Amino acid sequence: MHGLVLQLVISLAGVALMIGACALLFGTRDTLIPSAATVAERLAGDVPGFRASSTAVSRDGRAALLENTVDGNVYLAVVRGDETVMRRLRRGTLKGVTRDGGKLSLELGEFTLGRARLDLGDETAASWEARLKAIAA
Amino acid sequence: MTLPNPVVLAIPAFVLLVVVEMAFVRLTGRGRYEVKDTAASLMMGLGNSVIDATFGFMFAAFAIFVARFVPWSTGWSLGAFVACFVADDLRYYWWHRASHRVRWMWADHVNHHSSQHYNLSTALRQPWAGAFTLPSYLFSVPLILTGFPLGMIAFVHGLNLVYQFWIHTEAIGRFPRWFEAVMNTPSHHRVHHATNARYLDANYAGVFIVWDRMFGSFVAETAGDPPRYGIVGNIASFNPLKVALHGWVSLGGDLLHARSLREAALYLLAPPGWSPDGSRDTSDSIKARWAVFRTAQSPAE
Repeated sequence: MHGLVLQLVISLAGVALMIGACALLFGTRDTLIPSAATVAERLAGDVPGFRASSTAVSRDGRAALLENTVDGNVYLAVVRGDETVMRRLRRGTLKGVTRDGGKLSLELGEFTLGRARLDLGDETAASWEARLKAIAA
Repeated sequence: MTLPNPVVLAIPAFVLLVVVEMAFVRLTGRGRYEVKDTAASLMMGLGNSVIDATFGFMFAAFAIFVARFVPWSTGWSLGAFVACFVADDLRYYWWHRASHRVRWMWADHVNHHSSQHYNLSTALRQPWAGAFTLPSYLFSVPLILTGFPLGMIAFVHGLNLVYQFWIHTEAIGRFPRWFEAVMNTPSHHRVHHATNARYLDANYAGVFIVWDRMFGSFVAETAGDPPRYGIVGNIASFNPLKVALHGWVSLGGDLLHARSLREAALYLLAPPGWSPDGSRDTSDSIKARWAVFRTAQSPAE
């Protein structure tokens, strides 16, 4: 029993050391989306033939919406750490859309991605709200 | 004979090597680390150790039960150790392949693949519910029936896991051809962790890549298609509890909505992504779509 406790204490110390070293060497800030083109490039790797037609990046750089020229599918990208997590928005995965001025809120209801928020400005948000509501309907 | 647990003995080396790799990545730019991702991976590793120590008796009880029906033993010779190590690696190959092709097993194993990074900390991102993934138990039965002592099986399995630690890195390119031909290497395992269509469901090996070459699942890393790591639908959380449970929550949701026993059985046993109406992506459908696209882009290939 003492051996197990000692093992746990050593492991915890090791974990703390590694996390501390990582924070020190690589920082703790998320990497924001610099432009829709960056996300489009990544999506092109996952979706054969992907070419973005209309795009919108949240003003805080933490999320983006992209439409595929090829088939009209709409994709959501959200920042997590120094990576982005992508979702194709379609009926069933997009549960609801609400707008408060220029801020758009997408309800996905996933265990690890319940909601995504984008600050797009009034006009852009209104335009995307209509398109996304049509998908969610 | 009582043997030590190689994984426990290796913990100080794991810590040291992770820190060394971080420094190497910082200096050379070969590889990537992100603090929240790393913390999640390390907490998954720690949780795995605690849960294994708590529930490990379940598999031990199963193994002891099966061993009661085996009246012979290979003994503890060096030859038996070597044979057990190789046989265990073959067991690992088939267990690992099943873990990617059977949703019930994937619900657990997906945790190891849920990071979009590939570094030594990813090696420590281990699932928490292995003891409850009952189909996994069956893969050890042939080894036990062969007569390898249970302590020997546990020991060589530990060695296998320790070997697999160092191959989770982008800091190492490729080894000489003879080594890459026989052994699992960082290059081969990068392919295994990649979501690029050409790399899906490949390179299941633990120590010897020869199993993939023998059973048709080998794919070489291609310079023109650098691996993108993670899973097809990447998770959006660094919370270890969510990381550990997301595969199970998703499977549970589908089972709740199953309209028949057959559907429930297929949700459990068919490949990840299977759905009754075929509306979801499986690795097979992704690869097929990619193959069509590639052919259209370059018909001469």
